[in-house]
Amino acid sequence: MTATIEVDALTKWFGDLVALSDVSFSVEPGVTAMLGPNGAGKSTLLRVLCGLTAPSRGTVRVLGRSPRGDISLYRRIGLVPQQESLFDGMTAYDFVTVSAELTGMAKGRVSGNKAAGALELVELDPADRRPIAAYSKGMRQRVKVAAALVHDPELVVLDEPLEGLDPRQRLRMIELFRRLGDEGRTVLVSSHVLDEVERFGSRVLVIVQGKLAAEGDFRAIRELMEDRPHRVRVRSDDARALAAGLMDAGAALGVRVAGENVVIDTDQVGALRRSLAVVARERGARLFEVVPLDDDLESVFRYLVERR
Amino acid sequence: MTSAFRLVFGSLMSKGRLVTLGVLGLIPVLLGLALRTQDSGVFNSAYHGIVEAYGLGLLVPVVSLVFASAAFGDPVDDRTLVYLWLKPVPRWRLALAALGASICVALPLAVVPIAVGVSISGAGTELVRGALAGTALAVIAYCCLFLGLGLRVRRALVWGFAYVLIWEGAVARTARGAARLSINVHARSVASRIAHHALPTNGSSMRVGVAVPLVLAAVAFAITVWWLARADVA
Repeated sequence: MTATIEVDALTKWFGDLVALSDVSFSVEPGVTAMLGPNGAGKSTLLRVLCGLTAPSRGTVRVLGRSPRGDISLYRRIGLVPQQESLFDGMTAYDFVTVSAELTGMAKGRVSGNKAAGALELVELDPADRRPIAAYSKGMRQRVKVAAALVHDPELVVLDEPLEGLDPRQRLRMIELFRRLGDEGRTVLVSSHVLDEVERFGSRVLVIVQGKLAAEGDFRAIRELMEDRPHRVRVRSDDARALAAGLMDAGAALGVRVAGENVVIDTDQVGALRRSLAVVARERGARLFEVVPLDDDLESVFRYLVERR
Repeated sequence: MTSAFRLVFGSLMSKGRLVTLGVLGLIPVLLGLALRTQDSGVFNSAYHGIVEAYGLGLLVPVVSLVFASAAFGDPVDDRTLVYLWLKPVPRWRLALAALGASICVALPLAVVPIAVGVSISGAGTELVRGALAGTALAVIAYCCLFLGLGLRVRRALVWGFAYVLIWEGAVARTARGAARLSINVHARSVASRIAHHALPTNGSSMRVGVAVPLVLAAVAFAITVWWLARADVA
């Protein structure tokens, strides 16, 4: 399959700040999710891919061409930027119609019909005469998606498109992205929420601190994340007995007892989960609380970066 | 291009700007009413007071600055420029649409009140024609100049005011060389020649008076297009 996006040794800096560092990857048709914490460089990367800013070093090819300065390429790209701001005085229908016209679609009925179709696709009413200023955050988000899709682009780039949507809308939007991918379009969607990315069921690029920390099938990356060293705190009425039992069972790399608490280091979080209750019962220890100490996304990302 | 024009024009039409600059536009009308009661020297007073001092000296550059710098400045600030920029439209057409939108809003707010003020004062139709031509020429030239400023410079209003006050208001009035590149001086020349009024200091011929602001405008527009093509869009 031909890659829609090819990035080779891309570096981008703003003054002294290095936003992206030596990033290389390719993206093929279908849904690809870009995962990373806030400030990781995802938006900068998406901007470079759309030609909104030039790479400082390295090359970027989108649909076989350089996106910076090749304006004819913009007909084939649909972008949902992260920012919430829109042309607030316009109606959603007018805004999406103008977006269609600006991509070269015939004015009048053709662009109007396409705009109505795009708005219906994201469950907005094309006949709604309220200005966009009166819309909720979720509705504005959907207007942006409609404007990005109205000209049937081959590449759809979405920067945190699920922010502000309620759970039902999120589900519908994820279904829409998957459908676009199944149609043969390339959908590149960024998110800082692990569970969201999981639902795309797709290939994943993990960006952390401006670097490509991991890439590949989501399940493989998820397993990688599961297998990393974990630290768990367990509160029990017999911490010492519990700690000894876990070491004997081979479920812990190391334990530290502090009062009622046992802090456990393990690289097999699944095995620890299974043996914890068994060991507690065998040793007659009551469990009060089990708290993962480094299960936040930031620590997962940190691990992936350190691993490379 | 009309689609881009619609987007920019709509965003320029903010109530706050229209009301504030509309109020500034009432002043030449009030000045005209005050001059109407004068027994003699109405022509000179109307020219110097309404056209030269208030019109070309303040209202025209300020109105042009506010709208032209906002045409790209607002989308840059609120990060909506991406919706225009990421479209397969030649950059010169985007710039032309933004320029057209700013001129369309600035012209009636700057030129009409001055022409109405002069007309009410009873200074005669020749001065009305001169005022219309001079101020319209200045609006077009200033809009070209300030369009790029809004795209490129943060706090474009401050820099624009500094340009109007320092360059146009002081330097160009005293230095002969600087006057050759002053939109204000050439616009005053055009207004004076059409109105058959005494030429201002450093006044130029009709042809030069029209050509220089338009050449300055064309150069400024070309630079804006160049900046737009190379802009870092958020």
